[in-house]
Amino acid sequence: MSLYTYLLISAIIFAIGSYGIITQRSGIKILMCIELLLNSANLNLVAFSSFNGNATGQVFAIFSIAIAAAEAAIGFAILVALFRVRDTINLDDINILRW
Amino acid sequence: MAALISLMIAIPLIGAIITFLTRTREQARLVALLASGISLVISLIIFSRFDSSISTIQFGESYPWIASLGVSLKFGVDGIGMPLVLLSNIVIPLTVIFAWGETKEANRFYGLILLELVGVLGVFTSLDFFVFYIFWEIVLIPMYFLISIWGGPRKDYAAIKFFIYTHVASLVMLLAIFSLYFNAWTISGTPSFDMFYLLKNYSVIQSPLLKDAIFLALLFGFIVKMPAVPFHTWLPDAHVEAPTAGSVILAALLLKMGGYGLFRVILPLLPYSGSPAKLITLMAIIGVLSILYGTFLALAQRDLKKMVAYSSISHMGYVTLGAAALIPLSVSGAMYQQFSHGLITCVLFMSCGVIQHSAGTRIIGDLGGIAKHMPKLTFLMLAGFLASLGLPGMSGFIAEFLVLVNSYFTLPTFVILALFGIVFTAGYHLWAMQRAVFGTYNEKLGHIHDGANYEMASMGILILLIIFFGLNPNPVLNMMTTNAQQLLKFVALRGVIT
Amino acid sequence: MFSDYAAFIVLLPVIAFVLTLFLGKKLYSGGALLPIAAIAGSFIISFGIFLEIYPKDGIVQQSWPWFAGMNIGILIDPLAVVMLMMVSFVSLLIHIYAVGYMAHDPAKPRYFAETSLFTAAMLSVVLSDNILQFFISWELVGLCSFLLIGFWYHKPSAAAAAKKAFLVTRVGDVLFLAGIVLLYVNMSEIIAGRGFTVPAGNFILQFKTMFAAIPLINPTQLTYITLLFFGGAIGKSGQFPLHGWLPDAMEGPTTVSALIHAATMVTAGVYLVARTFPMFAATPSTISAGVPDSLLIVAYVGGFTALFAATMGLVMNDIKRVLAYSTVSQLGYMMLALGTAGAVVGAQAVGISMFHLISHAFFKALLFLCAGSVIHAVGTNDIREMGGLFSKMKITGTTMLIAALALAGIGIPFINIGTAGFFSKDMIIEKAFEYGQLKGDFIPYAFAIIAALLTSIYIFRLWFMTFTGTPRSERHSHESPGVMTRPLMILALFALFFGFAHLGFYDYLNKNFELLTGEKAAPESGGVQMSPIVVLLPVLVGVLGFLISYAIYHKKMLDMSKLVSSQNPLYKLLLNRYYEPKIGADIIGVKLTHDVVAQSGEFVDRKIIDRLVIDNIISNTLFKLGEFIRKLQTGVVQNYASITLLGLGLLILLLRIKFGGT
Repeated sequence: MSLYTYLLISAIIFAIGSYGIITQRSGIKILMCIELLLNSANLNLVAFSSFNGNATGQVFAIFSIAIAAAEAAIGFAILVALFRVRDTINLDDINILRW
Repeated sequence: MAALISLMIAIPLIGAIITFLTRTREQARLVALLASGISLVISLIIFSRFDSSISTIQFGESYPWIASLGVSLKFGVDGIGMPLVLLSNIVIPLTVIFAWGETKEANRFYGLILLELVGVLGVFTSLDFFVFYIFWEIVLIPMYFLISIWGGPRKDYAAIKFFIYTHVASLVMLLAIFSLYFNAWTISGTPSFDMFYLLKNYSVIQSPLLKDAIFLALLFGFIVKMPAVPFHTWLPDAHVEAPTAGSVILAALLLKMGGYGLFRVILPLLPYSGSPAKLITLMAIIGVLSILYGTFLALAQRDLKKMVAYSSISHMGYVTLGAAALIPLSVSGAMYQQFSHGLITCVLFMSCGVIQHSAGTRIIGDLGGIAKHMPKLTFLMLAGFLASLGLPGMSGFIAEFLVLVNSYFTLPTFVILALFGIVFTAGYHLWAMQRAVFGTYNEKLGHIHDGANYEMASMGILILLIIFFGLNPNPVLNMMTTNAQQLLKFVALRGVIT
Repeated sequence: MFSDYAAFIVLLPVIAFVLTLFLGKKLYSGGALLPIAAIAGSFIISFGIFLEIYPKDGIVQQSWPWFAGMNIGILIDPLAVVMLMMVSFVSLLIHIYAVGYMAHDPAKPRYFAETSLFTAAMLSVVLSDNILQFFISWELVGLCSFLLIGFWYHKPSAAAAAKKAFLVTRVGDVLFLAGIVLLYVNMSEIIAGRGFTVPAGNFILQFKTMFAAIPLINPTQLTYITLLFFGGAIGKSGQFPLHGWLPDAMEGPTTVSALIHAATMVTAGVYLVARTFPMFAATPSTISAGVPDSLLIVAYVGGFTALFAATMGLVMNDIKRVLAYSTVSQLGYMMLALGTAGAVVGAQAVGISMFHLISHAFFKALLFLCAGSVIHAVGTNDIREMGGLFSKMKITGTTMLIAALALAGIGIPFINIGTAGFFSKDMIIEKAFEYGQLKGDFIPYAFAIIAALLTSIYIFRLWFMTFTGTPRSERHSHESPGVMTRPLMILALFALFFGFAHLGFYDYLNKNFELLTGEKAAPESGGVQMSPIVVLLPVLVGVLGFLISYAIYHKKMLDMSKLVSSQNPLYKLLLNRYYEPKIGADIIGVKLTHDVVAQSGEFVDRKIIDRLVIDNIISNTLFKLGEFIRKLQTGVVQNYASITLLGLGLLILLLRIKFGGT
């Protein structure tokens, strides 16, 4: 498989993730879509790394996964807290910070 | 002892932290006085060892900091910075003594005053533009809090206005610093924020337009701080609302940063700028406009403190005028004006503070005849007002005389205009004295009492210093002249002056 | 030996000032003794120096470098030494007198401290050897006058008068300062050159250097410099149009008036012109290129002031104001002497003017002290409420008559017997006549002779109304104590007999500038033969004035009620002092400067810069922009995400455009 295959798959995952973020209203779904975005980026990193014969990209991917885990944990924690307060995780209803 | 300057800056900083941690106001003011006193002693040691016949940096120190950006902690003093370092160290302990009776959140109050000292000392001694800028901004923050916590009724408005106004000016200045920095970087290939190095490389810039833009941006940064007309409106508001100690520091030290910038940064650039003749004229116009405008505005004020604030604008106009004239003695006269105004304006603001405290108002029309009950204050205030109107024998006269006489060589028209201001300067001072202090006592004021002893003491010391430096200007004037001559050596070569 | 202590002439009163100011209440006699001792010391040193330098035609010069190529120094030449002796002597007598006069004032220590400083400043003016020190001392004199005129600061009128005195003289001071600026610039080009470095041992503003450099200064510039200096003299010496502060200065204690009007302050202006007279004399003598001759202006201003002030002296009812206008008028004579005699006999004019200055100091101090004695006795300043005091106050009355005779210049011509004023004033009037002959311009002479007539009228009016006739009010009066009358008697002796020193005085002062610059003065032109009528006329008008006053105010031969009424426009004009206080203080000071200029500045500041530019334009634009931009914060996460993606797309597009590639 050529590099472009990986990049294509990555791009498709990225597009799915983006589409999900824009269209979905549930906070959990949006978080999952964000995970998709991150993983598409990770895929790119690993692919470049493997084709360039340089381990730095893989290290970055692991780094990124760790960050993503932390981000997911915080994100879900926020959503749980939100649900307790507002009884909803529909982000359209969470708009008190708008203008 | 090599690290005298960093010691001088560090001690008030440590003092400030300790002051914040103290519990009683007695402890707080004692720590503040000790810290600023030690700083004063160190600056006196530096001053006594200072060689006023050489123009290079003395007591230089350098420590690496952010090597990749070319930032290092460089400190040192020369004839431009030394007098202002001394002034800062004189003013702060006296302010602490004057504010000895502060009760509201005393530990923070004295701590912020010490932080101001750290800031201004840093500005007057750093030789690295990055560090200079940091200290320049540090100065703003304690002053913001001094106004917004201990201020008068419109303190929020005044504090915000002060902060935004001067902060915008700083940012404009920062842009200019960055362009100087990148300019030098492209030339030499290594980044450095060294002040003299950046200034030296200004002349290499090709585009005259860019040169002028950088020059104007720096000039803007400094004259807002001075402040010069038409960028002065933050000053009266800030002064009116600030507590007395805040006003004293603001007028005596913060305004001097602008003037310091003129000598340290603007004058070395001026001869190499794109259109020096126009810029000199611009500066002269700003200077004279400030003198006259400040004078007339002072005449129109009903609030004593506001009047004093406008008088500061007027007096700082001499600094701009003297600097623009580009004659060694006019420049050193302008530097001397900075030093002298720093001492004089303290007395004026302290007088306003004592009157406000005692009579409960500063509106000139509501006062009247307070000399009857406040003889000590009247004596000191009169001395301060006379010094401010340029009475010979006081330090202000020496400065204004040098500026006027020597500026005439290059800017005769402007000097003639400035001379007009002198009569009116005397006018508003004496008119205010006549209405507020002399005449029949306004019985509506009730029973008022004279200023406290510590207030009178710190004003008295200032008056003595004003007279001392009015009779014997040489200790500070000589070093100023040495540096002014060095600054202007190349100006004459460039043929900017006729 | 005395000349080594020349600095103490100034230092002693300064020390006395400091000690009296801070310790006055604890000192003997409310602090009066120390200043008196100090000024006596100054007088002794001055007199000692005079005795030292007079026989050998010497001068005393001492100089110390100060700052920026300028110096502090002492120069005692004939001109300075006679002034020093006069100032310290008259001041000493006034101080002694003040012990009695101020006996009941609680603020006595402050009074004596301030007068002591006043004297010190004036002495310092006199012995300055450079124009900067001269100016500094000059300003200190102004400060002390401010403090002393406003001595009773709780009186609003005193506070206002003090301010007016300071400000009006300040107008002159600024002109003087401008003259110094111009002089400095010229001198610096001559001495220091382009490098702005003064050679060691040279001082830019030293009189010696200045006089030596006169030929090198551009004549037009020299004229400007001298005219600006004269502007300073106009302010300090109360010449028209800056004369208004002087009568108002009467708000201070009478002793202060005596000090200001006789020994110090007002004479400083005349002294300035005398001191820098070589410069005045060197200005081009023709009206060329639109620049008038300095001496001509000095003569005209002086002459006009002499007449102008005398007219107001005629109608004043305040005893001290009459004397104040008299001072203004007499100072005009001194200026007139410098201007006219300067054109006729050159630098000898200084001697003529100074002689009148010193004799005036004696009789004017005497007049004021007598007035003080009267005021002390009757408790009012208004001469309409006095009358018939002679029987109760014989010493005061007699000495005041002597002073009046001296002021009117009464004496016997041809055999040269007369009062001090006779010698000094007649000389001036004669020189004005010579000037008329020389230039064909008799206007200064006319000023002088008419003013002499008016002088005689108003001073005898004063004397008759005060001392003769019947008392016009029920006031208890008594002769003043000995500490007050003795100085009167001493001054009366001088007013009577000082005139006989005139020949020696002229001779001595004529050497002055010769000693200073080493150049021989032009020999005297031999003296024009005066026709007897010219010599006689000044005395005749003096006597005529006496007779007029005698007829009107003593014998009441004329009914003055028609003339002296508010219906008479001329009388109104004079009584309102030509509306000078109205024009000066109200219109120029308050209306124009404060109400128009300052308030419109305030308007610009508050309404235009602050409100319009900062608040409305800058601030509001930013707020509006913020209003608009914050609409983007919809609160809908999907919007944010779309915009982010859009941004990302744009970024990629830009990168493509910038760097190309496939």
